[in-house]
Amino acid sequence: MAAGLLPPVPRELPALTDLRLEVRAFLAQQVRDGVFVPHVDTWLTRWDRDFTRELGRRGWLGMVIPEEYGGRGRTYLERFVVTEELLVAGAPVAAHWIAERQIGPSLLTYGTEEQKQAFLPAISRGELVFGIGMSEPDSGSDLASVRTRAERVDGGWRLTGTKVWTSGAHEADAFFALARTETLDPVRRHDGLSQFIVDLRGPDVHIRPIVSMDGDHHFNEVHLDGVFVPDYRVLGRLGAGWTQVTSELAFERSGPERVLSTFQLLASAAQAMEDGRLPLDEGLGRLVARVAGLHQMSFAVSHALEAHEPAETAAAVVKVLGTTTEGDIADYVDGLTATGWVEDEELFALLHAAILQRPGFTLRGGTNEILRGVIARGLGMR
Amino acid sequence: MPPTSPASSASSASSAQPARPLVELHGADPDLVGVLSELFAAYRSGRPAPTHLVDLDRDLWAHLEELGLSRLTGSPERGGSGGTWADAAALLGIAAGAAAPVPLVEHDVLGGWLLEAAGLPDDGGLRTVCRPDPSGVALNVTWAREATHVVALWEDRDEWRVADVPLDHVALTERRNIAGEPSDTVEFDVDELEAGVVVSRGVGEQFHLRGALARSAQNVGAMERIVEIVLRHVAERTQFGRPIGRFQAVQHLISDIAAETALGRAATDAAVARASATNWTDPGMLFAVGVAKSCVGHGSSVVVRGAHQVLGAIGTTLEHELHTLTKPILARRSEYGSLHEWDETLTSLAVSAGHDRLWSLMTTGRAKAGRPSGHAVGR
Ligand SMILES: Cc1cc2nc3c(=O)[nH]c(=O)nc-3n(C[C@H](O)[C@H](O)[C@H](O)COP(=O)(O)OP(=O)(O)OC[C@H]3O[C@@H](n4cnc5c(N)ncnc54)[C@H](O)[C@@H]3O)c2cc1C
Repeated sequence: MAAGLLPPVPRELPALTDLRLEVRAFLAQQVRDGVFVPHVDTWLTRWDRDFTRELGRRGWLGMVIPEEYGGRGRTYLERFVVTEELLVAGAPVAAHWIAERQIGPSLLTYGTEEQKQAFLPAISRGELVFGIGMSEPDSGSDLASVRTRAERVDGGWRLTGTKVWTSGAHEADAFFALARTETLDPVRRHDGLSQFIVDLRGPDVHIRPIVSMDGDHHFNEVHLDGVFVPDYRVLGRLGAGWTQVTSELAFERSGPERVLSTFQLLASAAQAMEDGRLPLDEGLGRLVARVAGLHQMSFAVSHALEAHEPAETAAAVVKVLGTTTEGDIADYVDGLTATGWVEDEELFALLHAAILQRPGFTLRGGTNEILRGVIARGLGMR
Repeated sequence: MPPTSPASSASSASSAQPARPLVELHGADPDLVGVLSELFAAYRSGRPAPTHLVDLDRDLWAHLEELGLSRLTGSPERGGSGGTWADAAALLGIAAGAAAPVPLVEHDVLGGWLLEAAGLPDDGGLRTVCRPDPSGVALNVTWAREATHVVALWEDRDEWRVADVPLDHVALTERRNIAGEPSDTVEFDVDELEAGVVVSRGVGEQFHLRGALARSAQNVGAMERIVEIVLRHVAERTQFGRPIGRFQAVQHLISDIAAETALGRAATDAAVARASATNWTDPGMLFAVGVAKSCVGHGSSVVVRGAHQVLGAIGTTLEHELHTLTKPILARRSEYGSLHEWDETLTSLAVSAGHDRLWSLMTTGRAKAGRPSGHAVGR
């Protein structure tokens, strides 16, 4: 097995470390200047368009987009270290996260020349916010069962259906909607799906908030009430939506945000032990080791993707272990805290947010049960 | 068959050509890995049925000596094969995956290295190693009864000494570890330890780290073999009219086994690469070795438990291969620092790094970028 399960683990050289230190120094200054307060799970819950545009100005967005499309023409490994630094700093990165992670790469692979020119420069400047239009009320894990329909009309398509759990739709400019362009054939369920680039600010799009259990609003329900999408906003090939969405999910699943969502809590717990505000406990070292090991694994996956080597199973492994561990960090710190420590507001703010976000960690982007199936397939069991 | 020079290749990106290389790979020599895989696969298929007491396999050891594998990491001037740490880790993992009862860690990785560091002659006789306590007693000295000499690392006030003590100079009490392997108590004459050659502090401190990383490399190799065993079993064993590997519950157990194994592999290889690239001089070695020890150690709980669950009753029998892997894993994971001690070491590194330097610690092994630091290590 295992030879195939984990790509080689490369050793980071000073060129990458220098980039890390540059980003780290900038972020520390932003915290000192009060631009943001470090938090947990910021890639899903903290939008700051000004901050995002500043990252674009510094060349830390659109890193893997070629210069001809307004990007920086750099490598996935360089993007990887920038991404890690943003996550561990708990910076407000939700505004560009989805566009950076999956929309840009999908457009590069499947987009027309016109679409690349229309979207990639704005994505690289951090001016265009994207959402994900996959899930529906009756289609979660079984994504191929989506019911949103696209009907042929003059010059384009008319989309009707409901997307749900659309993170940040109320902040977003557009999403890729996965819809049926042909009626469902029960023997070939993955056929007849297509992707459309939908303007979320356009007519016939109705966005309703869904409030999460912590009282926050990041989820939405997006009703597409006969939304017109012109032919030139079809993404890729008609009927090839399943292949495209699977490749998009590969980008969605493999990044370091599947390990580091609660890093700020881990770091604060270490500090609290140093200061005597939490008891010194070796469970911390165990979690630190796991996160450090997962950092090496997701670096290895990133290196393999750069070299166009298969890493789908390894990416699923990182996501299963990483999302479990980032949730375990919340539960671990909770087990160390006693009520009555009210003076520790900072730690509690991180802890409570982490606990309440935790259920989502092992669901979003494909549940851990589904991903264990992906691993089982990679091992030849399915 | 001396291994070739380090398989270190600079790999750069495809979509752009950065001015400076971004990463390098420090894997084992692929030719060596090919040879080792064949050698130990043949060993596995040819050996007798498992026993509950495990003794040194002298024929295999003699064969490894002929091939230059018993002193893989020794310098060529002293008759060694000049292998890198990555090569050594590959050998340790593959040999452990074949449950080969040979003292590669004791004789080569630690014993041979100590003799070389002390400038002591190496007559080629089988060595084991230990760190006797102040009264000259060492517990759990693996393979001691089979050795010609015991290489002792002795902390004498502020100095570290190495003594190569013939077996007939020590008092030996035979014991065995949970895997049934020799794990003897050795009592030295303290005068003989005090007469040892002084070595640098670095040698004394590195001993523990090298031992811990070698044990992790063995264990992750054994875990990888367990994944193979489990996969083969669930494809062959049928219940309810189908191979049990078709049941989702079984698939999930095995996914978890494979995932923990892969994490242990990543952590171990990262530490081995750091050791290979810097010849153990990187101040981040303590952290890197601790991460490997912790990830492999905790992961082995999932692997051992899960593998026995998937194998059913047959996996608990003496004739089955499984225990020849699971028992040594459990024996080795407590050596060169228990899991608890390593988690404590990592905790104290993390706590002294604090909020602002934790990430630096996790990426470089050092809390402060660029500053070399010498951490004292535990027992
Ligand atoms: C924080 C968060 C953000 C999200 N953001 C977005 C977004 O922006 N855009 C978007 O499109 N979607 C988004 N999602 C939706 C997400 O993709 C789905 O929640 C996920 O795919 C699971 O679907 P579901 O919630 O309907 O659960 P279900 O599919 O109903 O699953 C419920 C339970 O059953 C298990 N289960 C289901 N099928 C199987 C099976 N075959 N075998 C074993 N177990 C099974 C699941 O693992 C899970 O435990 C988000 C979700 C979360 C939590």
